[in-house]
Amino acid sequence: MQIQQALQELITKMADDELVIGHRNSEWTGLGPVMEEDIAFSSMAQDKIGHALALYRLLEEHFGGTDPDQFAFLRNAADFRCCHFVEMPIGSYEFSLMRHFLFDHAETVRYQALALSKFAPFQHLAGKAKGELKYHTLHADAWIIQLCTAGKDSRERMQAALDNSFQLAGGIFEPGPAEELLIAEEIYPGESALYKQWLSHISPVMEKAGLVLPEMTAPVYGGRTGKHTPYLQQLLNEMGEVFRLDPEATW
Amino acid sequence: MYGGGYIFDEPNRKQQREEQLHDDPVKLAAFEARIARGEKIEPGDWMPAEYRRQLIRLIEQHAHSEIIGALPEGTWITRAPGFKRKLALIAKVQDEVGHGQLLYNAAETLGKSREAMINDLLSGKSKYSNVFNYPAKTWADVTVIGFLIDAAAIVNQVANSKGSYGPYCRALERICYEESFHLKQGHDAFIELATGTPAQKEMLQDALNRWWQPIMHFFGPPDKTSSHSEKLMQWKVKMASNDDMRNQFLDAYVPKIWELGLTLPDPLLRKNPDTGKWEYSDPDWDLFFEVIKGNGPCNKERLDVRKWAEEHGRWIRKALMRPEEMERSALPVA
Amino acid sequence: MNDSLDPRVNRLRLDKNDGSFKVEEGENWNVFEVFHQEKRGAHHEHVGCVHAPDANLALIFAKEQFGRRKKCVNLWVVRSADILAFDLEDEDMFANNPDKTYRDASGFKVMEKINKFKAHTK
Repeated sequence: MQIQQALQELITKMADDELVIGHRNSEWTGLGPVMEEDIAFSSMAQDKIGHALALYRLLEEHFGGTDPDQFAFLRNAADFRCCHFVEMPIGSYEFSLMRHFLFDHAETVRYQALALSKFAPFQHLAGKAKGELKYHTLHADAWIIQLCTAGKDSRERMQAALDNSFQLAGGIFEPGPAEELLIAEEIYPGESALYKQWLSHISPVMEKAGLVLPEMTAPVYGGRTGKHTPYLQQLLNEMGEVFRLDPEATW
Repeated sequence: MYGGGYIFDEPNRKQQREEQLHDDPVKLAAFEARIARGEKIEPGDWMPAEYRRQLIRLIEQHAHSEIIGALPEGTWITRAPGFKRKLALIAKVQDEVGHGQLLYNAAETLGKSREAMINDLLSGKSKYSNVFNYPAKTWADVTVIGFLIDAAAIVNQVANSKGSYGPYCRALERICYEESFHLKQGHDAFIELATGTPAQKEMLQDALNRWWQPIMHFFGPPDKTSSHSEKLMQWKVKMASNDDMRNQFLDAYVPKIWELGLTLPDPLLRKNPDTGKWEYSDPDWDLFFEVIKGNGPCNKERLDVRKWAEEHGRWIRKALMRPEEMERSALPVA
Repeated sequence: MNDSLDPRVNRLRLDKNDGSFKVEEGENWNVFEVFHQEKRGAHHEHVGCVHAPDANLALIFAKEQFGRRKKCVNLWVVRSADILAFDLEDEDMFANNPDKTYRDASGFKVMEKINKFKAHTK
């Protein structure tokens, strides 16, 4: 596989993750547990979709890709490279919060690595996302710690949410076939290195929160090769519902 | 966004008489003189009980309208076509929740807690703008809401922002600033459909036809049928009459609809060149009152969804309640 | 009753709702006043308030409710109960301030005196 193709795959999976989790989290807009949190969570969903757009633009500008709207809203599930974790329905708020915590720390370590990438556009993107991600993880950490230390019932809910999420979160780090090329070119450090950094980021928070970190025994892979849960196609149908009425029209 | 119309309570004559007996005439005169001079009333100030009661009702219903108004558009976030519309729509719905937050805070300064207001919303005791009891069936509905309902709300809110109660005016100042973005993005999406493919234009015309009556209802019943305005206008709680606001809206926005080659489903609609006022067919006011009573197409769903949100957030709110801290809790100060 | 036009609403499974629901007093936590600093060196100005369980989350909430739009470099939050203010009726304590011209530059007519002196010594 060529380096160009490997790079495109990396960008696509990152962008698809952001697009799908951004849509999922935006489903809470107007339905949050308290108005102030509703507003905060909505901002972060916007940031995710914004990151997706920036990554699709990279594909368009550097790799002769199609227009971001066309690329994002016309593909079907088999052409998507997001992990299963982001596809799952919003569920309860504890699941969405836990996903936000696990995903945003993963995104943070990824962008921290990309800030040092030999692929210059990554450095630029990482610079732009830095402040946003700092807020996202500050928000996530505060919630996790507060809810886990607010009594037995809420700690148990959060532990259950973690247990339900953890193997799915492992899917964020599903290794890609051409990673070695990218690692050799110092474009990014590879999924297993990111996974280790991620653990070192989330562990202290978990410890403070009194959460028991499960073993990563069966990370849920498949998303990076186009195998998905049925939830994804359902969501994609919805995301493209209006756009697909006439993809040539402007909306 | 918000529409008036049926905001104010019919004064309870007996209660009002009793309250008026308790209203110190010297203080009342000073209060009314301040308002006449254009001064603002602040939370700790003396105010007549009726002023407080009507303001709570006004601001609370405005707040409810924001968080219920977030629902018909909120459900279109995932379906909005393309990145630009999607991001703008999330930001807009987010603003509406934000407006709700600001307005509940303003109402709280008058002594009613946010919890009590939410309970009155859920139980149906307290209303919200009637316009949100209609469904948003297609993307074109979202553009009609974003353009015309927001435009109508701005007419209402700009008027209210010149009212006499300081915290409400301050909240409205920020709200009006954000509404200008809502109106612009709504107008932009509306124009895109109006000037787009035949199918897009047809979709928009259909939505416009369905929304016209709720829009005409938006500012409430005609002045000749609403009875309790005089005192509220003197106190600068109610800032403009229903008919005046409706006329102002028609004057500003009907030309913007017509210039795009769209039509409105009212053969009598025209501006009378002699009076400078708009003429129109009377919308069905019986229907308006039916919908207010709870029999509109979406009343139940809107409240069920709101209830779902409150129910699902409960454990989180309760987990972080700190009763020992609540002793030092207060309502907002300004 | 999962027959809403809205896919998101259908996913909520509203049919599981059981009629009445009441929010408890205090469920929306404490109130914190928020102060916004537009640029370094500027004063923090009061912009509104947030409901939050503690100052930490109040600051996190304030960041999006009051810092998401306009330029902002920092925020303060302080519990509303900790704000001490005069009663508004005590406004009269400040009433004579504008009369006390000896506290004001305009109360001192330096040029007049210099001009008078110059005219005198000419």
